[in-house]
Amino acid sequence: MRKVLILIAIAWLIAITVVHAWLNLHLFGPTRATNGKKFRIGFLPVTCHLTCPVTDFINKQMTGDSMFEPVRFNGWPELKEAYLSGYTPATFILAPMAMALREQGVPIKIVYLGHRDGSAVMVHKDSDIRRMEDLRGKRIAVPNRFSNQRLLIFRALKNAGMTPKDVDLVEMPPPDMPAALYAKAVDAISSGEPFMAQTELDGYGRVLWLTKDVWPNFISCVLAVHEDMIKNDRDTVQRLVDGIAKSGKWIDKSMEHRMETAQFVSRFYYNQNPRLLSFVLSKPPDRVKYTNLALRKPDFEEIEALGRSAGILSGSAHFEDYTDASFVTDDSAVQPYAWEPNQNEQPRR
Amino acid sequence: MNSPGAEAVVEQRSTSATPRPRRIGDPDSLLGRIVRPVGMAAFFLTAWGLAVRWSGSDLFPTPGNVASGIVELIQKGLLLKYIVASVFRVSWGFTLAVALGVPLGLVLGWYSRAFQAFNPFIQILRPISPIAWIPVAILWFGVSDAAPIFLIFLASVFPITVATIAAVQNMQLVYLRAAQNFGLSTSELFRQVILRACLPQIITGIRIALGVAWLVVVAAEMIAVNSGLGYLIIDARNAGKRYDLVVAGMVMIGLIGLVLDLLVRQLEKFDEVRWGYIGRRK
Repeated sequence: MRKVLILIAIAWLIAITVVHAWLNLHLFGPTRATNGKKFRIGFLPVTCHLTCPVTDFINKQMTGDSMFEPVRFNGWPELKEAYLSGYTPATFILAPMAMALREQGVPIKIVYLGHRDGSAVMVHKDSDIRRMEDLRGKRIAVPNRFSNQRLLIFRALKNAGMTPKDVDLVEMPPPDMPAALYAKAVDAISSGEPFMAQTELDGYGRVLWLTKDVWPNFISCVLAVHEDMIKNDRDTVQRLVDGIAKSGKWIDKSMEHRMETAQFVSRFYYNQNPRLLSFVLSKPPDRVKYTNLALRKPDFEEIEALGRSAGILSGSAHFEDYTDASFVTDDSAVQPYAWEPNQNEQPRR
Repeated sequence: MNSPGAEAVVEQRSTSATPRPRRIGDPDSLLGRIVRPVGMAAFFLTAWGLAVRWSGSDLFPTPGNVASGIVELIQKGLLLKYIVASVFRVSWGFTLAVALGVPLGLVLGWYSRAFQAFNPFIQILRPISPIAWIPVAILWFGVSDAAPIFLIFLASVFPITVATIAAVQNMQLVYLRAAQNFGLSTSELFRQVILRACLPQIITGIRIALGVAWLVVVAAEMIAVNSGLGYLIIDARNAGKRYDLVVAGMVMIGLIGLVLDLLVRQLEKFDEVRWGYIGRRK
């Protein structure tokens, strides 16, 4: 009996492995990527990281292959750990998180911005919170202690003559925020889009303010790469940054491009209803922007100062330490991708 | 002795050669096997649907929403893929746990010095949730299939090891005395006496461990893999208001867990195991 059982177990393991390899790993497919030099980039399904899937998609449409493999994560800790383990040599990441990692000696360099603006603070439509002052004693959800949304709230509190002690800040993964607001488990939520717009679209959220109203040209996420990648393979990093920059310009070129972006990113990368991204990218159009993304020292000095006062940065690393701004020095010279959408798009594998 | 179950046991022992009459209360009857569980499920689903309607919740799905969510997954061809991916990870993690846990348990149960050395270590590692291991798994294995397999292995290896240790330690001395009289070598002793004597308890441990292995599949797939039932739940949270798919993932995990338990129960029907369950029904 024992032999039979062991044989059955082995046969089962082989069978399930083969089926898994066929269905999920696509090992037996005809179009297995042959380019062995592909590297992975970590990203989250938020609009702050939108240029990552857009670059991947446009490259596949134009040349039939992408220069990198986008890896979608669900939360900040996993994304950060995958970078630390070397699994993703490049990643989209919160600017203060990258800066804090640098302070802790992690060889990380910010090479480009992910976006500008594109966050909001939402409250329940039934609540009578109309101004920042009304949030006194209330509970506000932020994505992470290193998130710029937290710094943004600190800044808004300061502007309203309040201190962080006047509110109760809790950390929550952005995808969980809409349900938490709906259930009134928190009084206000703040994260990258599209999770804020979702509450508005579903009819229970109200915008308290958009980032562009409180902190114009707000940055939350950046593209960062491992220092070794810059040393050993500068050309690849250059191609990557060029691609991200071209995608940003492409998204912002026209409303048609934005609507097309909403369609293919929702369908092939985020697995969301395209209505949501269409809403975020158009109402209003400057809710989130993808131009003017070259690194500028004053932006980061402001984040540094806020991070120090919020207690998440020690101030031991500076602009020159945690950035390499040499890949795109003049944003106005960047041209958008010369690609126009057509009807025969291929879903990604 | 008036309860129907006890009656059936007595009946089975005394007249196991003749076919038993079917009647209400007999656990093998159509009523007991199908009508009762299905009736309970129908009651539960109705209560769920009504509760959602009465509470007026816009986010929580009704059983109908969940069913159409499952149909949508089938149409997209995702359900089979995700089930295969989860079963693949659990199969490997669990097999590794059995392959390591049973021999380790036999050795630790037999050699008391090894037990003294290793037991505190095992008891320290045992209560740590697989969720706490996620960062370690990512740092060691990246976000490939190896990381969730590692988490599933960790969750299931300890119940197997501990059950095996206990089985060996509580073994009846008479088997050992007999084995010593026959002058068995150590390897023969392990394979032919200890393992066989302990098998019923080991199988119980394995059954619990399989439940645990399947239980942690959601946590294990929180790592950025791109397939699996746990991934389905996390992905649905990303997708906005798709709580129907969240519950669909839960339902599928539950149903497959039921099938797995039925399969492991089949192990108990083998003669090598059955002797350990004397006095139990069936």
